[in-house]
Amino acid sequence: MKFELVTLLGVQLDQEVYEVQLSTADGPIAVFPGHEPLVSVAVPGAIAVRHKKDDSDEKLEYFAIGGGVIEITPLGVRVLVDEADRGEDILEAESKAALERALKLRDNAKNQVELEKATALIDRHQVRLNVAGLRRKHRR
Amino acid sequence: MPSQRQLKSRIRSVKNTKQITKAMQMVAASKMRRAQDATKATAAYTATARDILAHLSKQGATNNHPLFEARPVKRRLLIVIASDKGLAGAYNGNLAKHYLKELIADDSAHIKTDTIAIGRRVTQFVTRLKDAKLIGAYEDLPDHLEGHELRAVMDTAYKMFEDGEVDAVDMVYTEFVSSITQTPKTERLLPAGQAGEPTDESIDEAEFEPSIETVLENVVYRLLGAQLFQAFLDARASEHSMRMLAMKNATDNATDLIDDLTLAMNKARQAAITQELAEISGGSEAMK
Repeated sequence: MKFELVTLLGVQLDQEVYEVQLSTADGPIAVFPGHEPLVSVAVPGAIAVRHKKDDSDEKLEYFAIGGGVIEITPLGVRVLVDEADRGEDILEAESKAALERALKLRDNAKNQVELEKATALIDRHQVRLNVAGLRRKHRR
Repeated sequence: MPSQRQLKSRIRSVKNTKQITKAMQMVAASKMRRAQDATKATAAYTATARDILAHLSKQGATNNHPLFEARPVKRRLLIVIASDKGLAGAYNGNLAKHYLKELIADDSAHIKTDTIAIGRRVTQFVTRLKDAKLIGAYEDLPDHLEGHELRAVMDTAYKMFEDGEVDAVDMVYTEFVSSITQTPKTERLLPAGQAGEPTDESIDEAEFEPSIETVLENVVYRLLGAQLFQAFLDARASEHSMRMLAMKNATDNATDLIDDLTLAMNKARQAAITQELAEISGGSEAMK
């Protein structure tokens, strides 16, 4: 099954995979080859990719994504997202610091615009931090 | 005729200027290339979004949808994209001229116009106009965008259109045709245009979760975001390519000026030597 992860900055991933785990507006789903055609809305969260059938959970590849649209066809899965960060590229300590900064921003927000900006930042860094945590859990 | 010393100092100052313009030319060239590459990278995103939208429209989801509804235009929003910095030839001037034309056209059609300005130069221009209503100004956006920087602009436009405050949203920016040609352009963002034909039939049978409306809204929102993003990248690529050209001209002019000044300087020096010789020989004649 083909898996394509498309962001505004280009195609992040385009290859044959065995399983994709996604979080949709209606809850998390796992997609295997032969899934029924579906178009759904992705919520900020993690995407996990199992490249081969026999890969263990440690070998899952993670991406932290913002909101987006998921398209599942008989040919494969296409995910259209605002932002995607590869799990390996996320540094846990850095994300934690960024999250704290964002929380502080929210507390000090003077108007609606600043508040919205801060909330968006918090969501983004929360997701990244979660993905970093997932990877650590599996590596142990 | 200026003295040798004056000429020397002028040559030195022109040389310094030339070094700076040369450096700016190189920087602009590399930034232009990067902006061009980014435009290409966005194409995949836009194509996918359009594809899904085409399917939705085939299912009739876009009929009577508020985002697709063409209302008689009484008020419209212009998103004007130009640069923060000058020294880019006619870049900001051309865009300002184009924007003025739009304003005049609106005025004669009795359409009221709101403006969101991106870039310091165009913000200054709009604030100086008496009749223009500026509702937002964005400055110092980074060269390397990640996508979320323009979301505030997008949200404002989206909300104004949804609430019926404006009946149309247009982007005014400079289209990057090639590294030699860049033309100011107006492009409609909302109401969203009709979707084309779907390219593959494979998701005709697809289910839509949680609902077809939610998916549609998400796709349209992303597609509009991508359009705005692409317009911004186009504007950036145009800016850098015009700056590159302007700086190349400046460097060439500086080279010519240095040649002229060096010639004048050599003439002055030769004149001084000739005069000195004449004085010496004149003096020795007088001694005889």
